[in-house]
Amino acid sequence: MAELELDGLTKVFVEDDGNEIVAVDDIDVTVADGEFLVLVGPSGCGKSTTLRMIAGLESITAGELRLGGRRINERKPAERNTAMVFQSYALYPHMTVKQNMSFGLEESTDMPAAEIAETVIEAAEMMGIGDLLDRKPGELSGGQQQRVALGRAIVRDPEVFLMDEPLSNLDAKLRSKMRTELQRLQDDLGVTTIYVTHDQTEAMTMGDRIAVLDDGMLQQVGTPLECYHEPANRFVADFIGEPSMNFFEVEVQGDRLLADDFAYPLSNETLSTVGDRTELTLGIRPEDIELRTEATGPHDFETVVDVVEPTGDENNLYLTFDPDASEPDTFIATTGGMNRIEAGQPLVAHVPEDAIHLFDPDTGRAVKNRSLDDAETLGRAV
Amino acid sequence: MTDTKLADDGLSLNRIGLYAVLLGLVVFYLLPLEAGIVTSFKSIRAYGQTAPFLPAVDGFTLAQWSSAVDQLSGSLFNSVLMAVPATVFSALFGSMAAYGLTNIDWRGQVGIYVLFVAGIFVPYQAVLVPLKRFWSQWVPLHIWLEPVWYLTGLGTDYAGLLALTITHIAYGIPICTLLFRSYYKSVSDEMVEAARLDGASIRRIYRRIILPLSIPMFAVTLIYQFTQIWNDLLFALIIVGPGDASVITQSLIGIGQSESVTNFPLQMAAAFVTALPTLLVYIFFGEQFAKGVTA
Repeated sequence: MAELELDGLTKVFVEDDGNEIVAVDDIDVTVADGEFLVLVGPSGCGKSTTLRMIAGLESITAGELRLGGRRINERKPAERNTAMVFQSYALYPHMTVKQNMSFGLEESTDMPAAEIAETVIEAAEMMGIGDLLDRKPGELSGGQQQRVALGRAIVRDPEVFLMDEPLSNLDAKLRSKMRTELQRLQDDLGVTTIYVTHDQTEAMTMGDRIAVLDDGMLQQVGTPLECYHEPANRFVADFIGEPSMNFFEVEVQGDRLLADDFAYPLSNETLSTVGDRTELTLGIRPEDIELRTEATGPHDFETVVDVVEPTGDENNLYLTFDPDASEPDTFIATTGGMNRIEAGQPLVAHVPEDAIHLFDPDTGRAVKNRSLDDAETLGRAV
Repeated sequence: MTDTKLADDGLSLNRIGLYAVLLGLVVFYLLPLEAGIVTSFKSIRAYGQTAPFLPAVDGFTLAQWSSAVDQLSGSLFNSVLMAVPATVFSALFGSMAAYGLTNIDWRGQVGIYVLFVAGIFVPYQAVLVPLKRFWSQWVPLHIWLEPVWYLTGLGTDYAGLLALTITHIAYGIPICTLLFRSYYKSVSDEMVEAARLDGASIRRIYRRIILPLSIPMFAVTLIYQFTQIWNDLLFALIIVGPGDASVITQSLIGIGQSESVTNFPLQMAAAFVTALPTLLVYIFFGEQFAKGVTA
């Protein structure tokens, strides 16, 4: 087992006309032995390219890749001791499940046939596909193919698992089931894993740590709760969490933040972190907004419900300050699913000061994150 | 009630029209074939006395067929000797070239591929003279491989047959490459990458993944190439020439001509004997062919 280090990893693609495109820009991450790291970001952010560089499918333009302290930049894919699970599963359609799983051992080791057969059967039993060994991929359901793809990776007994959105072709129900199963499997095997996804739910639920990428650059590496409660910048704050954080462009005037439709008074403590900035972005998570019937404090704002989206356990409320506009600007607040709330109803939104985030509008960097008295304890528990 | 009756009438009228047209087309396409078959079983005398498409009751004979088989057996063997390896190797090389140009990434492959495509459009007529010169002056196989011809007892004529085989292989590679390339483009990149990660070399990936998946496409190219090569006359005339090594299309030209009257029944029988192998190939590979075409 080994630790995987990405040291200034960079990938530049040169187009036919000489244009250079930086797909991955100077990424530093160290994945501890046995850790489950999730690489998350929107499509085109370079997360798959990063994974492919680790696998050896893509050359490394600059930087160093180390496995167990040894540089593996120049090693061939098969010699890196990694196994990859692809989004499309990439099973060999003309081979049976058994042949699919044996292929890697046959091609890359001198293992005798009997031992290969034994290893394959063992891995297949572990994945619960022992009775499918003589079938071909075309005769299997999506979930079963997924298990075969995982089994094929496990058989190799690699030092690192690389997974490229392996669950995105499954239906929602199966996906959440496989999510749990994958986590348990990784835990049992204790193999260092890098898991690429664009789905922030997968990132939050599966990873020991999350690495958030945007535009080829690493935005933040941290535990899921760190990324959630202490986002390094506006991008991370926006990307992690569902529904997304609400953002308001505000101006600092005296001890208040002035937005288009409201003024938000700040405590001296917060003011000192703001410093001499005049423009800020105020962020507040939908679940941190408390709904009241009457405005009593300075952090209470009178709004009107524009749209209600019930999800069962929760209601997503789109609130607005000017209900008369034809397409009003809205922000989201969530409330318990048992509360009966209807569109057009007036509501008071309480925005607690210890839950607000402030960002620099130019760099996007976090100026102030929410107070972490409670969040910190959560973070430790992970 | 009357309404539906009218509608029924309209429908059946349409049907009648449709069937009439279909029947007409069937007759149009099958009549020449039928006439050919019927004629091949007639004696020369009977041929003169009956309509081409009607069977001759008195003059029925198998003599034309046995005569055709007799006269063609030698060149039939030559054609098989030439067409089978030419077909198999042009398909195989085409498949390898397409794999190298499609599933493996390297600089300048588009330029090379363009050359392959250009090869498809070189007409036979344009290369006749260079080809003849190539095989007689630059690569004189009849001299180079002299011991082979004497040891096998085939005679130097067969140098021409070997030259023809190689020519057909070379000429077939571009079109086979094109056909295989369109097929290999649909092969998932991730699957090839998975094989690379599994430790398979480029050659092993071809052998264990790509080749087994190409079987339907091989059926397509084998049928196409076999028909092309088997039916070719022009190259055979130029490269092989008359002699022991002549192929079946060459022998077919001369058959039934030597007598005072043209022996049409014999020519018909000979034509069918010549066409039979291509027909058999269609029958044997038909199912795979359908898969390859719809893939």
